Amino acid sequence: MSRRQRMMDNLDQDIRDYIERETQDNIERGMALEEARYAALRKFGNVTRIREEAREVWSFLWLEQLWQDVRYGGRTLARNPGFTAVAVLTLALGIGVNTAIFSLIDAVMLRMLPVEKPGELFQVQVGNADEGGGGSGGDSVFTTPMWEQLRDHEDVFSSTLAWAGTNFDLAEGGTTRALNGLWVSGSFFRVLGLHPAAGRLIADTDDRLGCPAVAVLSYGFWQERYGGAKKAIGSTLSLGSHPFEVIGVTPPGFFGLEVGGKFDVAAPICAKAIFGGEKPHLDNVQVFWLNVAGRINPKLSRAQCTTRLGILATRLFVAPNASPEERQALMKITLRIVPAGTGISGLRGPFSQPLQILMAVVGIVLLIACANLAGLTLARAAARRKEIAVRQALGASRTRLIRQLLTECVLLSSAGALLGILLARWTAALLLRTISTAKNTVFLDLSLNTRILGFVLATVALTSLLISLLPALRSTRVSLISAIKGSQSSEASRDWGLRGRQWIVGSQVALSLVLLVSAGLLLRSFVKLITLDIGFDRNNVLLVGTHLKPAKVPPERWMATYEEIENRLKALPGVLSVGRSEVTPISGALLEFGDVQSDWLKLSTSLRSPTRLEDPEAPAYANFISPGYVPTLRMPLLAGRNFTRADLETSSGVAVVNQTFSRRFFPHLNPIGRTFRMDLPPQKPFEVVGLIEDLKYYSLREGTQAIVLLPTNQLPAEPMVFGNHETIELRTAIPPSALVAPVRAAVAEVSSAIPLEFHTLAQQVNDSLIQERMLALLSGFFGVLALLLAMIGLYGTFSYLVTQRQREFGVRMALGAAPVAILGLVMRDIIAVLAGGMVAGVLISLAATRVLQQMLFGLGPRDATTMFLAAGVLTAVALLAGYLPARRAMKVEPMVALRYE
Amino acid sequence: MSTKEQRERIELLQGTLDLLILRTLLLGPTHGHAIAKAIEFKSEDVLQVEQGSLYPALHRLIKRGWISVQEGTSENNRRAKFYRLTPKGRRQLAVETNKWQKLAGAIARILMPAEQEGKS
Repeated sequence: MSRRQRMMDNLDQDIRDYIERETQDNIERGMALEEARYAALRKFGNVTRIREEAREVWSFLWLEQLWQDVRYGGRTLARNPGFTAVAVLTLALGIGVNTAIFSLIDAVMLRMLPVEKPGELFQVQVGNADEGGGGSGGDSVFTTPMWEQLRDHEDVFSSTLAWAGTNFDLAEGGTTRALNGLWVSGSFFRVLGLHPAAGRLIADTDDRLGCPAVAVLSYGFWQERYGGAKKAIGSTLSLGSHPFEVIGVTPPGFFGLEVGGKFDVAAPICAKAIFGGEKPHLDNVQVFWLNVAGRINPKLSRAQCTTRLGILATRLFVAPNASPEERQALMKITLRIVPAGTGISGLRGPFSQPLQILMAVVGIVLLIACANLAGLTLARAAARRKEIAVRQALGASRTRLIRQLLTECVLLSSAGALLGILLARWTAALLLRTISTAKNTVFLDLSLNTRILGFVLATVALTSLLISLLPALRSTRVSLISAIKGSQSSEASRDWGLRGRQWIVGSQVALSLVLLVSAGLLLRSFVKLITLDIGFDRNNVLLVGTHLKPAKVPPERWMATYEEIENRLKALPGVLSVGRSEVTPISGALLEFGDVQSDWLKLSTSLRSPTRLEDPEAPAYANFISPGYVPTLRMPLLAGRNFTRADLETSSGVAVVNQTFSRRFFPHLNPIGRTFRMDLPPQKPFEVVGLIEDLKYYSLREGTQAIVLLPTNQLPAEPMVFGNHETIELRTAIPPSALVAPVRAAVAEVSSAIPLEFHTLAQQVNDSLIQERMLALLSGFFGVLALLLAMIGLYGTFSYLVTQRQREFGVRMALGAAPVAILGLVMRDIIAVLAGGMVAGVLISLAATRVLQQMLFGLGPRDATTMFLAAGVLTAVALLAGYLPARRAMKVEPMVALRYE
Repeated sequence: MSTKEQRERIELLQGTLDLLILRTLLLGPTHGHAIAKAIEFKSEDVLQVEQGSLYPALHRLIKRGWISVQEGTSENNRRAKFYRLTPKGRRQLAVETNKWQKLAGAIARILMPAEQEGKS
């Protein structure tokens, strides 16, 4: 073989030669042959170790040893299938859930868009100089004329693009088949640097006034609908009953710029004109709908950028004919740019914190699991003392042995990680389903990438170290002689490893307490949220979303059409009552009107009354409702009356308000009969006719809001945005889902072209708690898992302790100790470990649960009740887990224990 | 070997064994046992060569190209491995010797400051 082989042969020959010569010398000194040979061997020392060291000179030795270690480790693990299975499964679970959560974090927050130089992409947002820049997003849409200004003044950007998400209806009338659509500027694909998978992509020439209707498919949609056939290019696709020519397919892996969704079809912005409507978006200065992003001109410094954005903002927002007052207000609006390389996401806001919390939770679970495995390997190492001692005697160095033990653990972790990756893919998909709601299906690109693999590798390294280091260090420091003799009795070996294991169990107790406290806080918050008095009855209400525009109902027929539908639905069997509204509760949508002026307050302020408004600029949330709405949702009417059919547009304006509205605008007064004005055309006064209880409007977490309900048949004629997109609420006597088909049939009798969407109110309320539910369930699950793992650790450790001290207990009992005293002896140790762990756990909880603050509802992060509950549960379970081995100690037969000697 | 003998013997400093091997081989090619014996003999049995370190050291020197190894026949007509100084090893010996002398001188000056002060 190689040079090394030759050298090793040389060495063997040399060693033989040396020993012969030394023997010869010894004989010459007068020793007998046997004695001389023995003395020579002894003088030479450990041949194996010398060979190893010489071999090391010619190494790739470490590689060779690694291979040896791997084979040896594999054999050892195969010989202990029970231990191996437990360890691999534990690690697979631990690494699996960690990888799953990390891949969600990666997908939501870290993953770069699959476009050219994503780091150069910035999104343009609208800010307000007063806010100090920390706006909450949402203000990132522009009107078409604004986009054109941004596009044509490329002094900030070297290139720009715009897009808007939309829903296309693939079906031609009847049941809707919704597609995720994208309106894109002609520059969209060019600026992103994307190349078509087939055909061609939308180019600048496709996006001009009066452009032909063309569409580009996403790769996924192309595969799904056309099976990836080339003939799809040039075919016609019906979008909202308009024919579009398919011109190409985007590359696989590109799902749009918004993380959390994916698009099926993209069409140029100009094609929006084909859909018509009274006020086409294209030249409308009031409809904000386009997202704008671009690549920053690389020649500009950060400061120059800000200046130029300021100039641009003035040009965009300050109308030339604005009054000086308006001017001043408008000048405050600024533009800012935010990095968009990782995509734009509505998920990031609500989910980044829960995901980070979950990451910490599963990280702790993995730590606890590792602690158990460390305990197991420690026990196994104790059992292997003899083997280790023999190997040391045969010339294995200590580092070599440690390396070998480490290799075994790396093998375990790697096997766990491989299984874990499979598990992670499944878990992440499951998690994704739980954060998807009926209205919003979340799509995330969860494919493996180097970052996820790096995370897995780091986890494997960490777990291997955690599992193996303590046992390795401990078990290689043994007295060879006593170990080889197999004596278990020496005082030193009794304590051997036990102290370490007690520390491990103590920290497990501490960590699991932290998780239990967190889980308790999140669960109790969630329970508080779902049992909250929301001011209406969410059960047995079917929500039917409608849209009259696609059905081409003329505006003057809107009201009559809805009245007709409502009447038909009322007649359906199982329907108790029917109402209609512009927005539905807890849908996340809101209608907000500012500048509420109570006529009474105006009067009182002008009289310099000391009565002051809580917050004079506080807006009121509004809703336009039919008379059936309040009874259908069972909102308690406290005073006055509900709307009636008599409240027509011609009669004077009427309103139903809630308690907070009344308190705010008519303090200490009976609101019935009082009037107020609002920033809503036409500026006629509204008279309060009814008072309802406070209720939740768009979110369960909101504080009490001032809410005003207005009759839908007093809708303002301008702007014509209301009255064609109403939701019909049905209070049902039977399960709401059973009514879907009858409702569809009944509406079809009026017009079969009206698209319908079905939800239940209970579902909608539930869906609004999606993060809270996810966090509560998962943290609860992991809390219990952590508790279980910690208790297994506790049980294992004390079982071991009892076994180790069996002889001692036997002696004590033989000398007259009562079994209860023995029980007390063990329990004392258990309680010491438990108490230490609890104190540490409480301290960590007090410091750490602050990060949960934002996720909590109705209790603080240091809620004492939760803390006591968690500690109580932990103590009870821990005492049980400790009692089992302690009882065994009590039952030690003195004779059996002593006979061991 | 008596205990007294053991006590008088000094373990070699890390790295000095290489130097001693090179110096021994300057006298001519020889085999492993003879190298150990030569070092022990020349140091009047003060230095003891651990076999545990001799062979790894020899291999290290071969790898660096300072010595080479050959099959040979020894004085009593036995085949053995002979180690021989290479020209590169010869140069290295000069460098190492120089370094050692500087080191030994420096340590001596520190250990016997009185002598030093007396001189100045």
